[in-house]
Order: sequence, then C-alpha cells, then structure tokens
Amino acid sequence: MTHRLPFPVVTLFLIGTVLLCSCIPQQNPASGNHAATRVLQLFNWNNYIAPETIQHFEALCDCHVKQDYFSDNEEMLAKLAAGASGYDLIVPTGNAMDTLIRQGALVPLDKTLLPNLKNIHPAYLKTQFDPENRYSVPYAYTLTLLGFNTDKMRELGLPADTWALIFEPEYLKKIKGRVTVLDSPRELMAAALLYLGYTADDQDEAHWNQAKELIIRAKPYWAAFSNTSYIREIAIGDLWVVHGYSNDLFQAALDAKKTGRHFTIDYAIPKQGAVMSLDSMVLHKSGKHAELAHQFINFMLDGKNSAELTNLIGSGNPNIAAKPFIRPELVHNQVIFPDDDTLARLEMITDLNYQQRRVLSRIWTEIKLR
Amino acid sequence: MQTSSRLVKWLISTPPLLFLLIFFAAPGTIMVLTSFRLPGEFGGLAPVHILPGDTNEESGLTIETYQFFFSDFIYLEIFLKSFAVATLTTVICIAMAYPLALLIAHSQKKFRNLMIMLVVLPFASNFLIRIYAWMIILGPESALSHMINHTLAVFGMAPVTLLFSPFAVLIGMIYVHLPFMILPLYTNLEKHDPILLDAAQDLGANRWQRFWYVTWPQSLPGIFSGSALVFIPVLGMFAIPDILGGTGDIMIGNLIKDQFLGMRDWPFGSTLSIMLTLAVLIIAGLFSRLAKPVTKIT
Repeated sequence: MTHRLPFPVVTLFLIGTVLLCSCIPQQNPASGNHAATRVLQLFNWNNYIAPETIQHFEALCDCHVKQDYFSDNEEMLAKLAAGASGYDLIVPTGNAMDTLIRQGALVPLDKTLLPNLKNIHPAYLKTQFDPENRYSVPYAYTLTLLGFNTDKMRELGLPADTWALIFEPEYLKKIKGRVTVLDSPRELMAAALLYLGYTADDQDEAHWNQAKELIIRAKPYWAAFSNTSYIREIAIGDLWVVHGYSNDLFQAALDAKKTGRHFTIDYAIPKQGAVMSLDSMVLHKSGKHAELAHQFINFMLDGKNSAELTNLIGSGNPNIAAKPFIRPELVHNQVIFPDDDTLARLEMITDLNYQQRRVLSRIWTEIKLR
Repeated sequence: MQTSSRLVKWLISTPPLLFLLIFFAAPGTIMVLTSFRLPGEFGGLAPVHILPGDTNEESGLTIETYQFFFSDFIYLEIFLKSFAVATLTTVICIAMAYPLALLIAHSQKKFRNLMIMLVVLPFASNFLIRIYAWMIILGPESALSHMINHTLAVFGMAPVTLLFSPFAVLIGMIYVHLPFMILPLYTNLEKHDPILLDAAQDLGANRWQRFWYVTWPQSLPGIFSGSALVFIPVLGMFAIPDILGGTGDIMIGNLIKDQFLGMRDWPFGSTLSIMLTLAVLIIAGLFSRLAKPVTKIT
C-alpha cells in the first residue's frame, strides 16, 4: 500500500529543510591557523566597541579579540548562570556587576597593571557597587532621558527639560499617540519617582504606588511601551517624544540627519534628574588570560581609544583624557561630558530582592492592564 | 514474519515516542517543581535545603507563589482578556479560512497545489520580519493611515491611529495564524465525497441546505483541529502584542516572558505557565465534549 503525503505537508517539510540547512554554520577555513595566537574573550554589549579600536589592540598585543554579545544585563547573567564560560572580560552595568561580585564570580584587579586608571573622572570611581574599585573600572555609560523632535517641540511650545512632558496631561494632550516610554519597570518608575520629587532608586512602597497612579493617569496619552522600536519611529517622524536611552537617541538623531529628514532629533536631561547606567570592565574568573585582559583594560583607559567609542555611539564618557579626541560637536554635549551640576542629578539604580521585585511586578502588571 | 514486523514497528515508533516523552515530561516536571521554589537572589532559584534544623526562610518548597497568584484578581483578568483575544482571532480565522478552503478544495486539481503553495508561502520569510512589516503598513505616516484618515476627514470624523492598538494586535494575530486554519480545513474539505452533495440535491436540498446539512457537519473535525492550531498559539503569543500592541495590550504570554526575562521570578513565571496549561486542557476537554455528538451523526 502506498501512502502519498498531502502536498502541503511535503511543501512545509521542504521549506523547513531549506531553512534548517541555511542555518548550519559555515566552517571557517581560517580557523586553526591561529592556534598559537592568544585570544581575548570579550563578553560585551552589541556595538559597544569601535572596530578600529579592536584592530589597534590586536596589532599592539599580537593577539586576537573575540566577542560574544548580550543585549541586556539579565541575558548576560542568565547565560553565565547557564554555564557560559571562558570570558576574560565582561562589561556589565552597575547592579549586574554587584550581582557578579556577590556571587564571587569576578577576579580582583591588579591596579599596578593599570596606570591609565588616573584618566577616569573621580565621580565615576568608588560607586556604591564596588566602593574600592577592587573589581571594576568604568568603561562608558548611558543615560535614560527624554528624546524629542525639536521642530514639533517648538511648534507646540513644549518644554523639553522636564519629566512633566511624559506625565502631565497638560502637555501630553498635544502629543497624544506620539509618545512612547520604556518597557522597563525600573526605568519608568525611576522617571515617575524623580518627577514626584523622590530619588530614582527610592524603594518605599508608598512612593511606588504614587508613581503608579501618576503613570496610569498619563498612560492613555502614550502610544506604546517600547525598548527598541522607538529608535526608528522617532527617526522617521512617527514619534515626537520618547523616554529612551542616550546612545539610542544619538543613533536616532544621526539617522534622521543622514536620511535628510526635514526635522531634527535631540535629547535632554530633565531638570529633576535621570538614571545613569555605568558599564564597567570586570575580569570573570572563567577567563584564561588575566594579564592580557589587564592590558586591554589599560588600553581602553587611554583617552584616544575611549574617545573612539563615544565618537561612534555617543556614549557618556568617564575618561578625562578622552576629551581632546572627541568630535568637536560632541565635546559640549551634557550627556557625554556632564558638568558638576548635571552630574549631581544623575543617579544609579540598585538591585531589588525578590519580595520587592514581586511588589514591583504586581504594580507593573496593573499599569499594563489599566 | 508477524514478530519481525512488530519489532520494526516498535523500532520505528520508539525514538519519536521517547523524544516526546522526555522533552514533554522533563520540562513539565521542572516547571512544576520550579513553581514551588523561591526566586534566587541573582535570578534563577533559591537553593533548596530540606534538612532538619534548616532555618533559612528562602529555601525548601513553598506555596507562596500560588498564594501570590490567587491573592489578586488582576492575573485572572489578564487570563480572561487573553482568552477573549484568542477566541476572537479563532472566530475571524474560521470566517476567513472557510470560504478560501472551500474554493481551493472545489477548484481543479492542477490549481489546488499552487493555491496551497501560495497559502504557505509566507512561512518562507521570518515571522518577526513579517510583523515588523505590519508596523510599517499601519504606522501613522503610512499610505494606509493617510488614506483612511483622509477618508474619515471627508466625513468630518476624527483621525484614528492604527498601530499600537488592539486592532493592530488582532490584525497581526489573524495574519500569522490564518494558514493554520486554512490547511486543516482544506485537507478535510478535500476528502468530502461529492456524491453526498448530489444525493442531497436529488432529494431537493437547495444550496444553503446542502452546505448546512452536508458540508458543514462533515467539516467540523477540520474546524476543531484548525481552531486548536490557532487558539492555543494565540493564547501564549507575546511577540505580536509586544510589537504591534499599545499600552494596554498585555497578554499572558507577555506576563510570563516578563517574569523570566525582566523580573527574574522563575517560580511565578512557572506558576503562570501551569495555570495557562490547565486552562488550555480544560478548554480542550470542553471542546472534545462538544465535538462528540457531531461525530456520531456523520
């Protein structure tokens, strides 16, 4: 008895096979030739180092730099927890670094190998997460702030330097459906808490509930919660105001300019303050090349090398020696090199325990549902 | 001869059986166990110490997570909402897929394969890319939005936003899941014996009666399997509400995803998943009860 498979099944099977085959990684014919070269394993954010910086370092150390990427701290921690290993260097944000330190997953730094540490602005050293900088050296940072379409702001007479822009119906009614906020409980609560006059890292439940009320009142005016798609949407003019990350908004502003839009995108630190996510270089204990990793950290602390990243993605730069190498149009950018007044308004966020996370999760669910 | 063919049967069917058993039972068991643990400080799970004299409160097994789930009506509300979206998507998919499946089944054999091929063609491109394409189609500066809003303006009506709305979510859901309704319906309709329709006509049944008393009851198994293929994935879908939805379009899938990726609360994520599985099983049970009398008639 012959049994013919129905045609759709065959088609699906064929399509599936084709898709599977195209996913099989190609063997790299070059691998194996460099068996003798040392390889520095970097676990880094996507697009968080300039390609020319890597080339310069590889030429200097006669080694090879290999990168694996993560797109958020949770993902990085999850991969490490699941057994990913062999990373010499990781670039986590403050609170994730705190976790790694308390897990005992990091190797203390040998400061004698890091003479360029003197280049770091003292305000970025001795953070609450690593008060002695035993494990970490600041790399770069991102601010969570407001991005906007400058032409629309002028046209509608809106203030750009306050969180009121995304929380007060008085302003929101002019930009209804053209605003997005981050899809991140901690970031959005931080913005609301700052607007209410508390600190970004406030962990008082009563204050959280006030922030929740504020958010629920403003929500009908927002188009969506968005963590990534806002970058494109604001660059093409669909959105006018976004709660977002400085690096992403730098990208959006550049995109709008490059594609010749008739408007410009800019961003500003609200007067009530903003969240700073400081990323640091740390040595993971699964790494095999501690000395090479130290060499890399010292290399990245050099002003010129540090400037290359800022010039590429507009990241905040904790390196004083980087200033002379920064593109002239970026030197006075408060987001990249904040003055002391601005610096005093930037706050870092600490981690929550699980009971607090559940309270926040419950609040977040209510915000999403109402 | 008899024994060898039996042996062959076993040899062939054991690997897939084992595969399904292991990869269904193992994650299921892990999920159930996880739901009775507590979240660890760094994500993952708190260590278990079920030793006598252990005073650490954050260890061992606990029903705290279930208490948390039932302490609040809000989670049930999200379940109900997701069921509403899944039901609506399924009903619209049936309404859209039925005429099309009928058309394909009744067309000439040489065209059928081509038409089915066209139905499955979207699978050749990545699911997320297709959803992002909808983002462009529905965006406020898109041609479609402009056209609709210009038309509305002619009648003096206020402009509407298409993207980031429940409407956009529904469009995305229907678009992605429609083929899963068409294919089982088509395979069912194709097998119908045309003689039955001729007989009904001979006995004086008009077009509508022939459909309602002959075609429809026979096609119910196809509708049920199509519905299962649409309803269940829609229920757990998180990508479409994430990308196309507005500020209020959260579904269970998003809630579960948030627990694992954002809140580092695996036990609560597992509890939600178990509740979802239970709800789906109950619905499947109800469906099969509904389907029974019909299969007796045919």
